Amino acid sequence: MTDAELRERLQQAGYICDEALATTLWLAGELERPLLLEGDAGVGKTALALGLARATGRRLVRLQCHEGIDLAQAAYEWNYGRQLLAIRVGEADGARAAEADLFAREYLLERPLLQAIASEQPCVLLIDEVDRADEAFEAFLLEVLADWQITVPELGTLAARHVPMAVLTSNGTRELSDALRRRCLYHWLDYPTLARELAIVRATMPQAESALVEQAVAFVQRLRREDLGKTPGVAETLDWVRALHRMKLPALPDDPHALTATLGCLLKTREDRFQMAPERLGQLLEGRRAGVAEKG
Amino acid sequence: MDAPHAAPLEAVAGFAALLREHGLAVGVAEQQAMVRAALAVPLSRAATLDAGWRAIACRDTRDWRAWPELFERYWHPERLKGTVRTSQRTRPARDLRQVVQALQTSLGAPGARPGDTALHTDAGETEEAAAPRAQGGASRTEALHDRSLSEWLPQDLAALQKLAEDIARRLRRRLTRRRHAHPRGARLDLRRTLRASLATGGTPVRPVWQRPRRERPRLYVLVDVSRSMQTHAQLFLRIARAFVEPAQARVFVFHTRLAEVTPLLRRDSPTVQEKVNAVSAGFGGGTRIATSLSDFHGTHVRGALGRDARVWVLSDGFDADPPERLAQELATIRARGARITWFHPSPQPPASEAITIARPLIGRFVRLNSLRDLAAAALH
Repeated sequence: MTDAELRERLQQAGYICDEALATTLWLAGELERPLLLEGDAGVGKTALALGLARATGRRLVRLQCHEGIDLAQAAYEWNYGRQLLAIRVGEADGARAAEADLFAREYLLERPLLQAIASEQPCVLLIDEVDRADEAFEAFLLEVLADWQITVPELGTLAARHVPMAVLTSNGTRELSDALRRRCLYHWLDYPTLARELAIVRATMPQAESALVEQAVAFVQRLRREDLGKTPGVAETLDWVRALHRMKLPALPDDPHALTATLGCLLKTREDRFQMAPERLGQLLEGRRAGVAEKG
Repeated sequence: MDAPHAAPLEAVAGFAALLREHGLAVGVAEQQAMVRAALAVPLSRAATLDAGWRAIACRDTRDWRAWPELFERYWHPERLKGTVRTSQRTRPARDLRQVVQALQTSLGAPGARPGDTALHTDAGETEEAAAPRAQGGASRTEALHDRSLSEWLPQDLAALQKLAEDIARRLRRRLTRRRHAHPRGARLDLRRTLRASLATGGTPVRPVWQRPRRERPRLYVLVDVSRSMQTHAQLFLRIARAFVEPAQARVFVFHTRLAEVTPLLRRDSPTVQEKVNAVSAGFGGGTRIATSLSDFHGTHVRGALGRDARVWVLSDGFDADPPERLAQELATIRARGARITWFHPSPQPPASEAITIARPLIGRFVRLNSLRDLAAAALH
């Protein structure tokens, strides 16, 4: 599959990406390297992995990282309950279970990383918000991401049947180690351009009024240029358009007060709400009218 | 002039050398990956290598932002405006497509492995590296160390950021809980013990003990932006800003009143400096350090100030409040368990009356007038 085909398939799967990102994804597959995605919250980092799975028809294996995540939650754990049961059954039958029997693959509980490594079919591995995990866990990831293998002391090294397409996302909560960064391809996902965001909203919500979508997206694009504490991402735009659509609005109202109630979809901090007073909103809306006039 | 595609690997190595010169960590492995990418890409889509190589060579947002200009400079120097030629020689035209074609012809053949020979040639031999280095952006850290803060250039801030990250890492982690040594040893972690006992049929063969948790100290930086500090305040603010991300520091500015500026510093926006200026411009008259400190511990960080707090005051110590009040306020902060460090721009610690009275309450005085001072402070 070429990068252009991949882009096309992603689009069909509902993820609209630019050429550079498609090339990077394609290259990650060619070089069998994981892709580290950074960017502000809500720009579509996680959605890319979901879209990639749909576009390639692969299974998505997701590992959500958090503080204190350990091997047992991420890679594997022995199924102690079953092991004990096997011992008891063995005792009842008068046979003694051998240790080697108890530490076999069937007693191994596969957690996301091992699932991805051991998967019979190629899959997409999403390691979400890797910056939230501890440094020790990050070090463990190095073996998985560099050699696509996991070492279980009792069993030996399990190598991947198919190298998964790995996507790591980070919000920059913590600086990631250089060792992890250099094993990955890197892509900074920025806020989408007007045209791309329009395409995204139209693809996600084909039922919404065309004028409403155009005006709302243009408004959000202008809003992003404001000095906000939390700049609204694509997810916020979609939420907002959905809300406006539910309110059965054919287009953005001229009166900024009519919008105030829906702004909770876009502005997520008190300071931002305070900053976007009705007067400022009015000015942003007027930008819309100017834009329409220019267009006409 | 050589044909542009005569030595494609050298062209890639030269590009890697240029990237390295500008701080991108491009080693042999990355160069090999770049060559592999060039071999994999169809010739008609050679232009997409821009994105592909960017993903390989960049490690963070700083690299990401620097990329477009570096790529243009090397592969399309003709597109850049204001290129200065220092010699009579014309720059060799580099055509990415031709380089890719040459790579694919020479290395695409079975048996040929990328990156075995030419990639290991010293990149310093290439034309790009041999060119005069008097280009903007390449600052040497050593020189920066001695330069006074007032002579800093914007690109020096990257070095500052790195130093701040180092210091933040080294801030000693503190125990979250102090426990008396118990004659019968450590405390049992019942939940984990029960979980671990599953492996042994419910018999807790391997008890799990609670381990003391260590957390990073909370950092509060108070920057004096009064008139007497006019020449230093801007740069002190930059230093404070460098700590906001890596150390989760909260930054305050004070003059006659105190205001928190952390949310402003956290954003990478050109209007930030204006906003900070606006906040500090509202102040007037002399410095009131004691009043500001009272506001700091009484209002802004009321509940948060504790044993794990480090308070850094960046000030010259000239206080318009009654001299004994500073000691009172600092004593309140100390009583909550916080440690106080005083950073001063002058060679000697401030000798104002207020500081003289409060001296026993201040843990350390640190001179801060250059990056070397900050680096030296980091060692302690």
